[in-house]
Amino acid sequence: MTAFALPRFVAPLLRHSLILILIALLVFFSIQAPAFTAPTNLLTILESSAVLLIVALAMTLIIASGGIDLSVGVAIDFGAVFALIALKDFGAPWYVAIFAALAGAALVGAFNALLIVGLGIRPFLATLGTFFIGSSIQRIYTDGGGPIAFRRMEQGFRDLAAGNIAGIPMEIVIAAVVLVGYYLLLERTNFGQRVHAIGLQPRAARVAGIRVGRHVAVVFILAAASCALGGVILAATLRQFTPLAGQSYLLDAIAATFIGASIHPRLRPNVPGTLLGVLFLGVVANGLNLLGLDFNLKSALSGLILVGALALAGLRGRAG
Amino acid sequence: MSLAISAPSSRAWLAGLVSHAALIVLTLLLAYLALRAPNFLDAQNLTAILRQSAPLAILACGLSVVVIGGGDDVVSGGIDLSLPAAAVLGAGIISYQLSVAGSGLGTALLFGLPAVLAVGAANSLLVVGIGLTPLLATLATSVAVSGLTKLITSNRRINVSNRAIDWVRDGDIGGIPASMLLALLVFAGLAFLVHRTRWGAHLQAIGASRAVASLTGLPTRKSVALSYGLAAAAAAVAAIAILARGSGSSPGSEEPLLLEMVLATFLGGAFSRRRIVTVWGALLGAVLVTALSTGFALLQVNIFWVSGIKGGLILLVLVAAALDERLRR
Repeated sequence: MTAFALPRFVAPLLRHSLILILIALLVFFSIQAPAFTAPTNLLTILESSAVLLIVALAMTLIIASGGIDLSVGVAIDFGAVFALIALKDFGAPWYVAIFAALAGAALVGAFNALLIVGLGIRPFLATLGTFFIGSSIQRIYTDGGGPIAFRRMEQGFRDLAAGNIAGIPMEIVIAAVVLVGYYLLLERTNFGQRVHAIGLQPRAARVAGIRVGRHVAVVFILAAASCALGGVILAATLRQFTPLAGQSYLLDAIAATFIGASIHPRLRPNVPGTLLGVLFLGVVANGLNLLGLDFNLKSALSGLILVGALALAGLRGRAG
Repeated sequence: MSLAISAPSSRAWLAGLVSHAALIVLTLLLAYLALRAPNFLDAQNLTAILRQSAPLAILACGLSVVVIGGGDDVVSGGIDLSLPAAAVLGAGIISYQLSVAGSGLGTALLFGLPAVLAVGAANSLLVVGIGLTPLLATLATSVAVSGLTKLITSNRRINVSNRAIDWVRDGDIGGIPASMLLALLVFAGLAFLVHRTRWGAHLQAIGASRAVASLTGLPTRKSVALSYGLAAAAAAVAAIAILARGSGSSPGSEEPLLLEMVLATFLGGAFSRRRIVTVWGALLGAVLVTALSTGFALLQVNIFWVSGIKGGLILLVLVAAALDERLRR
């Protein structure tokens, strides 16, 4: 404990170090790359973070309940493909396609819930199994993993990615709605309180009369269903279904959730923190892009920035 | 559990059967593959399975040490996601030194292996020194390390032809493939340290309950820090096995290894009587995962189906283990 003897004035700085680092990065990027602060670029950062935010919020809910979900990628993909099938093969209107997406992804969540709550397998391994099976289903369905294109997509569905409300791109609007929804659910309802209780002390929660199994099942189904919205955005943006595309969001979603937890006084996963985590990852990726660095150098730098920022943010525990 | 021991009920034989269900399911599976898949039991195929599984087995054994010391809660317990990335970094540096810089094997190892150990030191610092959650800390180092690998190898494949490396790939001692010998050495060393020494007993106690271990006066911080170091040492050996298996280094080879390593390690827990992660369980898990892939390839199962069937079978083993736990309560 005495390894780091820090002067007293450092403690309050460290408490908000992650936010300070983010601000420092913003200042650095705006000096080094003038295009960074252009309104269109700031909008681009938000736009490109939308899907990750949706997935990271789902991950936040699950990690708050004490579990983890390695199959969020499958839920995203199932959402995308169910929406696309509804549009392409059944000619459904856009709102029915969204409903199909939610239902398809909820299937993934229900399978996870069956394995975890019904059969008693631990979330990590259960969702890993779901990931293997889900990826296999996608390969079988697409005959090896080629994308399914749908160029003449109905405008209503296309607008979910290309449209805007009062100048704000639709992806941002969807992600913001999901953000507010998750905030209210996790931080402002009894259900959210019980989820946190289950995550902290599952046995105590059971003794206190919380139906742990039922809550965990709802958490996994709800999280998977909300990931479908990410899949819908991806499908509408590219006007196609790309198999296994969701997987690339998994590690970033986990990272964003844990970055968010590291700013919480009791290190709990929380919705505002996850938003900060997603923005942090988005700003680093965008800023390094604008600096025009070599691709390989960029990936090394972004990793080192992440490690450095987390180390500084983690020092807070020592000082406080 | 004590009830079952003191008063064996009429269901005792059933409980006994279920407690070994995971092993039974595994045996049945391998027996099925042996009967149905042509050449599954050929010496050539069996050595091929062992050669293929060496990097995975080494990494899984290394990960098991971290999980044993950190507790097996996946969110807050011990885990090291950076092991595959560290091993691939080592393989990348060694192959760069051999083929691009043109130095000898000794120099190449002198550059490569300490780099892998440095990743372990960074993990120790982040987890023990700073107190980050292991999952987050090692996820972050793994991103940074993969980036460094890309930077060093320019994200390109580097071929290596070196007699010693080729021997690790093709050679054997008394019929046991050289790469598997590497894995067995790592396994024996780690299993001895964790399951047969006082330090290992302390590490298991720390993993079971950090608070109690710390109250008893065990050096929890030092032991946990060392467990990340040991895992990194295993990754350094895995770097050589990966280099030999691929006759060089390829970008992105850490990705498939990551999930399989975690799977093999935690699957190993299903084979232990107390459902805890052990070093030998990790070794068994790694061989199982590779044997299944090879078996399906020999059966000429459609490649698109393989990962799904594998996932289903693994869930079957886990359900058997979970069922047993429920019966014992």
